[in-house]
Amino acid sequence: MKRVEVKLNLEAVAPLLDAIKAAADELQPTLAVTPQVPDLEEEFAEDWRQELLQNQRSDLDILLSLFGTDFFITGVVPLDATNSEPILRACSAVRLWMRAHSLTAVSDEALETGQMPLLETTEGQRRAFAAYVFLGTLQELIVQHLDPTELE
Amino acid sequence: MIVVSAQPQSAPLAATALQSQLAPQWHVVVLNDPVNLMSYVVMIFKKVFGWSEAKARVHMLEVHERGRSLLWTGAREPAEAYVFTLQQWHLTAVLEAA
Repeated sequence: MKRVEVKLNLEAVAPLLDAIKAAADELQPTLAVTPQVPDLEEEFAEDWRQELLQNQRSDLDILLSLFGTDFFITGVVPLDATNSEPILRACSAVRLWMRAHSLTAVSDEALETGQMPLLETTEGQRRAFAAYVFLGTLQELIVQHLDPTELE
Repeated sequence: MIVVSAQPQSAPLAATALQSQLAPQWHVVVLNDPVNLMSYVVMIFKKVFGWSEAKARVHMLEVHERGRSLLWTGAREPAEAYVFTLQQWHLTAVLEAA
């Protein structure tokens, strides 16, 4: 099984984890994107939402498990076919949530280019922005090196 | 007494074909969002629909430039399954009557 180990700079990444964990906590009871559920009976529509939510929680748990005790010792996150897809989805969920909540004052252009205007932003916004960019980089890395469509 | 009924063999097949033609069709559509990466969206289209890189890129660019792309058309049940799967990947997927 193909496996990629990514060595991260602990000093740079550790402060971002608070922002990621906070977003993951906020996402426990709610979906990152409110889904347009097809015109179904209410019972089925609720089942639809609950299943999406269960999957989102499971994906977030797998993302957060990358940054456990071992990470703080080695600075390494292991990526492989078993965790790449949940991590991709969890990164997307957290980025969507941050965009809609902590980064509402930041322009789409800044988010796309990764160039944060330093003036007029709070420390919390700067940290959320850095976490947003970091998770996007992690997604790029997984797609580049562990594309699930090529591992199948 | 044995009664032999001579039914034309093609009748049930013709009825099935007619039913199939009359069954409502549904579109699976993805809408643009400002967050998900282009490479991520291409990967999802390849994975969910089994498309080539080139075809997935065409649809990703259509979403990016026009705000939406029609990804699949067909019966209600598989269309719902596609929408659900795309929503699991946090894409804004919707089901529309064809």
